[in-house]
Amino acid sequence: LLCIEPTFPGRLGGVADWLVTHRGYHCWFYAAHIEPRERWPASIDRGLDVIQFSVGGVARQPTVRWQQQLERGLCYAYGCWEVLDKRRPAPLDLVLGRSAGLGSSLFAPVVQPRIPLVNFCDYYIRPRTGDLTAEIGPGAPPAYYQWRRAANAMDLLDLENGVHAWTPTAWQRSQYPDEYQQEFLVLPDGIDPLPCTERPVRNRQFAGRTIPDGMRVISFVASSLDRLRGFDRFVALCADLLRQRRDMICIAVGDPLVQHPLDTEFYQQDYARQLLERTPLADSERFWMPGQVPRSALAQLFALSDLHVYPSRPYPVSRSLLEAMSAGCVVLAADEAPVHEVLTHGETGLLLPADATEAWVSSANAVLDDPISHRPLGESAAQSIREKFSRDACLPLLADKFSQLASDEAHCNWTSRAAEGR
Amino acid sequence: MHVLMIHQAFPAQFGRLALELQRRYGWKCTFLVESLSNCPSPAPEMLTELELHPLQLPPEFREQPLTPWPRSFGRSLTLCEAVYNGVQSLPDCRPDLVVAHGPDGMPLLFLPELLECPLVSYCEYYFAREHCDLSYRVDLPPVEPAEFFPRTINAIALVNLAAGIQGYSPTRWQRDSFPARFHPRIEVHFDGIDTELYQRRSGPRRIAGRDIPDEMQIVTFVARGLESMRGFDIFMRVAQRVARERPNVLFAVAGSDRTFYGWDQISVGTPHFKQWVLDHGDFDLSRFLFLGHIEPTELAALLSLSDVHLYLTVPFVLSWSLFNALSCGCVVIGSDVAPVREVIEPGVNGLVEPLFDIDRLTEATLKVLDDPAEFAPLAAAGRRTIEERYSLEVAIPELKDYFERMANRARPKE
Repeated sequence: LLCIEPTFPGRLGGVADWLVTHRGYHCWFYAAHIEPRERWPASIDRGLDVIQFSVGGVARQPTVRWQQQLERGLCYAYGCWEVLDKRRPAPLDLVLGRSAGLGSSLFAPVVQPRIPLVNFCDYYIRPRTGDLTAEIGPGAPPAYYQWRRAANAMDLLDLENGVHAWTPTAWQRSQYPDEYQQEFLVLPDGIDPLPCTERPVRNRQFAGRTIPDGMRVISFVASSLDRLRGFDRFVALCADLLRQRRDMICIAVGDPLVQHPLDTEFYQQDYARQLLERTPLADSERFWMPGQVPRSALAQLFALSDLHVYPSRPYPVSRSLLEAMSAGCVVLAADEAPVHEVLTHGETGLLLPADATEAWVSSANAVLDDPISHRPLGESAAQSIREKFSRDACLPLLADKFSQLASDEAHCNWTSRAAEGR
Repeated sequence: MHVLMIHQAFPAQFGRLALELQRRYGWKCTFLVESLSNCPSPAPEMLTELELHPLQLPPEFREQPLTPWPRSFGRSLTLCEAVYNGVQSLPDCRPDLVVAHGPDGMPLLFLPELLECPLVSYCEYYFAREHCDLSYRVDLPPVEPAEFFPRTINAIALVNLAAGIQGYSPTRWQRDSFPARFHPRIEVHFDGIDTELYQRRSGPRRIAGRDIPDEMQIVTFVARGLESMRGFDIFMRVAQRVARERPNVLFAVAGSDRTFYGWDQISVGTPHFKQWVLDHGDFDLSRFLFLGHIEPTELAALLSLSDVHLYLTVPFVLSWSLFNALSCGCVVIGSDVAPVREVIEPGVNGLVEPLFDIDRLTEATLKVLDDPAEFAPLAAAGRRTIEERYSLEVAIPELKDYFERMANRARPKE
């Protein structure tokens, strides 16, 4: 298997690791950026080899004009091609790429024209709906919408590159143009579930701080504390709750610098600081922001959390939501289409319309007042994630698809989720 | 009915069409154009009867005629921005339909932000990944972009089509160059050939001021640019062989020295492919008339004198010159590629031979020259083909009907 993604381990690292560990694959992972060693999967150098490629041209610039976005991606694709062409990894049965807007796998067929290519597709940007359009759109300059209309060029080139398209959820597929939707395999890539342990009530600590006995914990986790994942909504909820309750600590985990370029207003800015300056909290000592934390600390947080809040705007569900559910958290989430595939209201969590501010407060209070009676929601969530969204549940089917592609691409029913030839 | 037509150059595909729509049906056609073309040049009545507004492009846009392939999409977006700004500068312009095309790709992408009317793109061509268009001339030195260009150049077409824009192509083969998933949204409607202008006419046998004796036979070759995509080098090799065999043949070549498509400059390492070809062959140039770019009336006169017309394109967008030659009653020998076969049925309204087979092309040319009467029925059938399928008389009503249907369609929801 040849995996290509701008960053290792990125999204495909976990998939590659599972295939190496559980199916005996050998995997070359080509990436331009390598994350710190503590994020590497276990199979590294034990069947999973990472090869770094460099990028040139505008890809070396920290930011580019939106009109150069595709050019930037093509620099990644070309950089990958250069190293591939030199090394020519063999024997090779399959290429698995994820462009993440940067198109690294686009030129893989130049080197390996007859090897099946699978592309993991994340998100198709619609010009006027989804993600932050409702927040940024009104009053946005024409360039905002022009950028959104041009932003999918790399995804479209990938889709026309003879790939087998793969996306984790039906909602993500539904964002792509109608002409492409039937060609997608919809299958979650799965997560490595966190342990759903007994929830401690005493001697609780997080990020070096002690949580007093009797204190409730309300949590929020995102890669960065931004509007895309609804950090502003979390702060608004906490502001009300902190005024009403003295028995509660709010913990928001994530990079304070906005990482997602979809938030064109606050990208690379400390949005959390700006927001909290505008939103004074009744007791800011009870609002913790430890920054990004390692996975072990995340597991610790989820074990402490009485209520996990997921107020994301319409955008692919975050891995943190799945991990929180896997750890048995009671989740209160914004009632947006992407969440429906993961969470059922009243069974595996709670859903409320994003703008129903009072209902959010009363729902949160209900959970915090009586965590024990809400535990079944968390336990069902943990079971649901293990059954439907764990790697062990999802990736065997993917591995079967890969085997079929590698042995007889023409006869692989790529889009079917029925188990075949197992 | 008010149609806003957008193209960098005028009149290109739209000038004559707009004139006909205005004159025949009383429509209003407004143009947003950057420059006046010389291939063909606008007829005086186009400039007086049609409403033209300027399309302002940044100076750097013009300064980069050969854009590196990774920057092509950015260049197209610059054009889309210019079109957006151009339409915005016409606040009173409320068209029922917008029809657009451009050499740098479909320029409609941002117009849904400004206009509510349906948008139609002229879907001229979608580049193939291999064995076609730019990658067909495997006989020439390879160039670095050959592997990468086709995987990237269609980005602007894809973002337009994926946004739900409707389109039409002039030929079925050109429509079929687009991914099949988009075919239902692309109809086939040809631009229309002026069969009044392009018809075989009697007149003085004179080309570029030179009198042509009655016994002299004329072989014609016409292309916008004398370049490899249109087989100029192959034509010269065929002509060289024919010249050796027949002393009474003159070769008349119309087209500029520029390369408009492909990478001839990179491939052969000189600015002008024509000169590179001439430098690499033993040609008796006294047998050739290089006319450069010529205007439609001159072209019609030239084609009227043609005994054989060679059209040696690679699989690519069909040239108007092929239709013009057929309309002028030429016996056309085309390259045996799919787009040519859409128009020429071998042995019925013309001939085709494999592009790279110099022997067969030479032999076919000699046969036609030797016995014009035998091949006259082909020429007559070629003229009928144009009259029946590609003439303005056929094309304009079809396009009118198509535009009306499109104007009445709701734009897809975004």
